[in-house]
Amino acid sequence: MFRSNKLIVFFFLISLYFFGFQEIRAETITVSQDSVSSTFVTETLESEHQLPSVFMVIPFIVLLGMIATGPLFYHHFWEKNYPIVAVLLGLVTVFYYLLFLNDTHSLLHTLAEYLSFIALLSSLFVASGGILIRVDRKSTPLLNAGILLFGAVIANIIGTTGASMLLIRPFIKINKDRIKPYHIIFFIFLVSNVGGALTPIGDPPLFLGFLRGVEFFWVIQHVWYIWLPAIFLIALVFVFIDSKNVSKDTDAQDSYSGKIEFKGMKNVFFLLAIVISVFIDPAVMGWVPDLKPLPFGIREIIMFSMVVISYRSADESILKANEFNFEPIKEVAYLFVGIFATMIPALQLISHEANVLGEKLTPGIFYWSTGVLSSFLDNAPTYLNFLSAALGKYGMDVSLPAQVSDFAYIHPIYLSAISVAAVFFGAMTYIGNGPNFMVKSISERSGIKMPSFFGYMIKYSIPILIPFFIIVWIVFYFNGG
Amino acid sequence: MKSISDVLKEKKYGLHFGNRVLLPFSCHILKLNIENDLITDFSPSCKGVHVSENSDFMEIYFYNYKDISEYITKYEAIKLIVVEKGKDVFNTKNHITLALRPEENHQLRIEKLGENQIFIE
Repeated sequence: MFRSNKLIVFFFLISLYFFGFQEIRAETITVSQDSVSSTFVTETLESEHQLPSVFMVIPFIVLLGMIATGPLFYHHFWEKNYPIVAVLLGLVTVFYYLLFLNDTHSLLHTLAEYLSFIALLSSLFVASGGILIRVDRKSTPLLNAGILLFGAVIANIIGTTGASMLLIRPFIKINKDRIKPYHIIFFIFLVSNVGGALTPIGDPPLFLGFLRGVEFFWVIQHVWYIWLPAIFLIALVFVFIDSKNVSKDTDAQDSYSGKIEFKGMKNVFFLLAIVISVFIDPAVMGWVPDLKPLPFGIREIIMFSMVVISYRSADESILKANEFNFEPIKEVAYLFVGIFATMIPALQLISHEANVLGEKLTPGIFYWSTGVLSSFLDNAPTYLNFLSAALGKYGMDVSLPAQVSDFAYIHPIYLSAISVAAVFFGAMTYIGNGPNFMVKSISERSGIKMPSFFGYMIKYSIPILIPFFIIVWIVFYFNGG
Repeated sequence: MKSISDVLKEKKYGLHFGNRVLLPFSCHILKLNIENDLITDFSPSCKGVHVSENSDFMEIYFYNYKDISEYITKYEAIKLIVVEKGKDVFNTKNHITLALRPEENHQLRIEKLGENQIFIE
């Protein structure tokens, strides 16, 4: 079963690359003969492809619908067949673009983004899987809130994925006598999402913005005053709910040494290498070789190497203690093959509409549009499309780093609205951000019955997060622009 | 039939064949985790799992897993919370958390879940 799935994905990627490479090469040769700059090549390639049919959004809606309903109504079918479903729906879009639109540029671009995305996620996942943290302390609401806040801070250094993988097991273990789904859900809110809003390493959309020209420290300069009250208010709600749970707990008679144990130091260096490799990109450092037309660069090679090295050199007892397995990252990898492919038409149509509407688009509209779509789509390309639309509003081009950098300082409110919404709203659903799924899976394997896709939204994310998001909108973006 | 404590002390192995697990002891199973499945229904109407007892061993069939060794990877385990037959099931101190790890040649390592691992009751 899984062998055949791997083969499908392999041929999918190979055929995509092969067709894409042929077309890109042909177009590059034609254009270079006319002595036109490479910038123009990109612009021409992007503009000359026609918009997809509205009906091509169907595979994306079907996939999202199945991700939402599969674990709920046809659990075992979904568990066995999600790789095939995701890849086949992705292939529908791929063949449409190849055969009807003759647009391999969009596909290749998406493939490159997918590889960057999965390289970062998988390397952080595997490297952090070789680290073991043991906290032998009694679970209290304040200790829990402290861990969540600590996770929110380090998410900006090792990414929301790294922070989630590092802290979820100690967090479950500390609370093992009284754990409830809300513990995990607040962990997803703070550590896996909202926390990572301060740096480009924190969350993939900010990382894409950084690659496009947003300065590394721009986010922290323009978002910290939104991030800080947001995480403290969410933590406060957590403390309130957790305090009620503590008062019901009467069996806590265990003695605790108060020790905090840390094992797997070498993997901290691997994490560091991954974080540094984020900057190893030709767009950031001129000396870094560009591997085009390959759909990956030196950075991705380093990240994938870290996957192998950190797994091979990890201490077996730590892997066993962490019950390490590739299933969570495999699930993300397969589902996101389908999501990345099927969302191409959806994003192109959104981008087109955003450009058409132009002047009517206020920071508030960017905030809510980016947010709502980031809740269900991948937030990285959503961010990029709305960034492109916001730049287009002022006649600027997202493919020119200097213009992106200028835009960030001339019209910061738009970029702030898009950045905050892309990161914060990722917490709205299990599919809003990569680590959400991983945390859910680890929790279920630890014996915690997690709410369904809709249960998560109805019981937790809508009643808890939406009021915060409305406050952020009113205070920061309502009268902006 | 041997007791769970004897099996753990003697480091006795169970067996696994496809979707079938054979345990050299008899117990009440309270909760079981395989992959992302949390199973608490062990009644005859449960479609996912079937437990049967023989004179010398106990067997569990996992109907949703064709071959458990394909699903349970190197560092993972099937996790169970069990109570030794004859002991008070209502006393939580009698609840034992076990890990079953499929190995080569159909051998099934049976061990108490390590202190670093978590399986919440």
